[in-house]
Amino acid sequence: MALGSEAQTLRLVHTGFRMAREQGRPWVAVHVEVPSWETAAEADQARVWLREAQDLGAATAWVVETSVCDGIIEEGRRRRASQVVMGRNRPRSPWDRLEHTRTQEAIRRSLGVRIVNLPLESPAAEAAAPVWQDLLGMVVGSGTVLAMCCIFASALYVGIGFPGIPPVFALGVGYLAHRWGRACSIPATLAAVLVFDFWFQHRWLPGAAEEWSNSLDLAATLVLVQMVVFLVDRLHQETRSLRRREAETLLLMVLGRALGRCDSAREVAAVLAERLQGLFQAQAWVLVPGPEDTWRALPEAPGAPSCPRPSELLPLFSAAATRADPFEPLFMDGCSFVALAGQGGADGLLQLRLEGGGRFPQESWGLFQSVAVQGALALERVRWLEEAQQARLDTESERLRNTLLGAVSHDLRTPLAAIQGAATSLMLPEPLPEATRMDLLAMIREESERLARLLGDLLELTRLQSGAIRIQKEWQLLDEVVGSAVVHLEARQGPLPIRVELPEDLPLVPLDGALMEQVLINLLGNALRHAPDSPVDLRAWEEPAGIQLEIADRGPGIPAEFHLRVFDKFFRMPRDRKDGGVGLGLAICGAIVKIHDGSIWVEDRPGGGARFRISLPLDGLPPGPLETAPPTLTQESLP
Amino acid sequence: MSQPLILIIEDEASLRRFLVPTLANHDYQVLTAASGADGLAMARSHNPDLILLDLGLPDLDGGQVLESLRQWSRKPILIISARNQEQDKVRALDLGADDYLTKPFGAEELLARIRVALRHASHATLETPVLQCGALKLDLERREVAMDGTPVRLTPLEYRLLEALAQRAGKVATHAQLLNEVWGPVGAGQTHYLRIYMGTLRRKLEPDPTRPRYLLTEPSIGYRLNIEEDQ
Repeated sequence: MALGSEAQTLRLVHTGFRMAREQGRPWVAVHVEVPSWETAAEADQARVWLREAQDLGAATAWVVETSVCDGIIEEGRRRRASQVVMGRNRPRSPWDRLEHTRTQEAIRRSLGVRIVNLPLESPAAEAAAPVWQDLLGMVVGSGTVLAMCCIFASALYVGIGFPGIPPVFALGVGYLAHRWGRACSIPATLAAVLVFDFWFQHRWLPGAAEEWSNSLDLAATLVLVQMVVFLVDRLHQETRSLRRREAETLLLMVLGRALGRCDSAREVAAVLAERLQGLFQAQAWVLVPGPEDTWRALPEAPGAPSCPRPSELLPLFSAAATRADPFEPLFMDGCSFVALAGQGGADGLLQLRLEGGGRFPQESWGLFQSVAVQGALALERVRWLEEAQQARLDTESERLRNTLLGAVSHDLRTPLAAIQGAATSLMLPEPLPEATRMDLLAMIREESERLARLLGDLLELTRLQSGAIRIQKEWQLLDEVVGSAVVHLEARQGPLPIRVELPEDLPLVPLDGALMEQVLINLLGNALRHAPDSPVDLRAWEEPAGIQLEIADRGPGIPAEFHLRVFDKFFRMPRDRKDGGVGLGLAICGAIVKIHDGSIWVEDRPGGGARFRISLPLDGLPPGPLETAPPTLTQESLP
Repeated sequence: MSQPLILIIEDEASLRRFLVPTLANHDYQVLTAASGADGLAMARSHNPDLILLDLGLPDLDGGQVLESLRQWSRKPILIISARNQEQDKVRALDLGADDYLTKPFGAEELLARIRVALRHASHATLETPVLQCGALKLDLERREVAMDGTPVRLTPLEYRLLEALAQRAGKVATHAQLLNEVWGPVGAGQTHYLRIYMGTLRRKLEPDPTRPRYLLTEPSIGYRLNIEEDQ
């Protein structure tokens, strides 16, 4: 089935779904992009439809072709389609109709398939024709119809002697009223009377007029016609408003869906702005009260018009406002405002500036209000979402605190006890042998270092998980971060068997140097602790997904059931319970890699041992080439 | 100047208790102040040769103390700060502090930093033209660099970077300071240039670039040319 980008495509999608279900066949939704025709907004819209179709079980295809016809033929061949369902706008001119038929014919011939047409009403088509064209059409049409009435009535009268001229005219006027509305029927009636008078009574068929009742007949019939026309017109109006309401409902439904996908106030505002732009050709902003009685305008594009402070503007929308109707849009400084009222009263405004300036048309107030209500609901939902998330974070940190107390009470006490014991024995009056004294001092030093590390890790993890650490990504050479980590470890433990293998052409990587160094120190430290007698290999390479880093040891490895859990806070593998760690190192690594939008995991190393892998995205633009570096350099030369 | 005078501005008594005897035992005269205001007053009255300044003082912001000290004194100032205060350290260094120590620190580290800072202060104007650290020899006057006696060819930029580091040999140099000295105002914020040139310098000067011995990285802060290699 073929999708266009108009709003009613939804109906087409649903039809496709129903047909596929009835016939029990798979279906494919196809959008053909004709590059010279399609705007970015339309393409976005089409993507929405494709997603909709996908939700209903369709396979989707996006084809770029020079014409819709070619695109459908190509995709139809590829998928061996047996039926093509096409949406078809009511043609605006006979040429359109011809074009459409030709397209269908071409598709039918090349694919040998059945084509199902689905008439669509595009909202644009209704309003499309300019007034003068309408008027001209009306005059020409009325003339033609009346002339045909004359000829037909004359033929009847002359041919078979039927005197029923008035009914023929009544038929004609009735058609005109149906085609062009009541406005047309009154002049048409007058014209019919004149023509009748002129044609039949005076000139051509004076005999006909002798049947005097004809004039009366005509008058009565035309009165009847007027009544019929009145009824038909009401019917028309109702159909039109029904159709408009249907279109609006569809629009609101689509809007509701789009809003339902938003996760933040910013996204809600973007969706609202985009839809309102499409609906009313207007720029729209969501105004949320910010700090110090200012507005925060979303989306944060430049050009948002200034408006009065929240403390002045918001009361105008409360129920106690002196304005005539607090729910009608407020017009001020070329913009219309409507309240985004959630449960707690108006907590924001929707600001709209029509492209031509000017007031908002009254007939669309309802729609504008409905959009605003949906927007307000979406904003409220987003706020609840944020609160729920915050609550979850709070629970999480509460849980962390509890675990922390448990772990801390043990892991802090052990080194403290050692320090206290060593210090008190050093202070005993009986002199200790020099070797013991040095041993105790060394112990104090080691245990205090361990304490410092533990506290540092705890703090770091808490800050990482509470979001208190602002990541400062800079374009870094991995060599430098790795070197810094290795030097740090060796300063503490002396020369270490770490084999580093970094390609020279490795690109710069956007990362926070201090944090990533911490990750490497933790991973290398772990590897060395578990495999003290074999070298640890550190490698990095580039992949389309980003930079890959690997730290592999030949230690005992990590059993598969712990591959995920090793990154949990305070998790220690059963065999490591006594080695003095607290199980924070890998949790810190996980948290740091996570705020880099990367991923970290562990796998078994072929041949034995554990292999930790980190994947870091290379997002953003790498810094410019060095040739454009400061011009002052070239002037200086060295001997 | 047989016994240099060191002023410790530190509010924590236990840290003072550790610092005072350690320094006194290494032939320094020691003065202490427990608040920023006291510290400033004592600095004015005694004009110490070196100041140890804690950034987390109760009364004044460490940066403020540093700024008022730097208005009249060129004497070396060492910053003592807690972990995770990288921003404060960088700010203090850019405001004119000479180096920093991160709590907790050991006595060796403290003494080494003080030694370097005092050495720099005493040769402030008469910088040694030849710098020897380990196998690396740098002749600032003749603009020559050699490793184990073999000359190393550096590009003008690499040399200027090395020179900027050498002028603070043993002390930390912040990214901003190096960028400004090597690239001038256009370098501001272009830290990645610095990193790339450090990378090439390391490849030329370090025996094992993955374990730098001379050109050390101070994460998030800057670099340090290590001269303690043979001491």
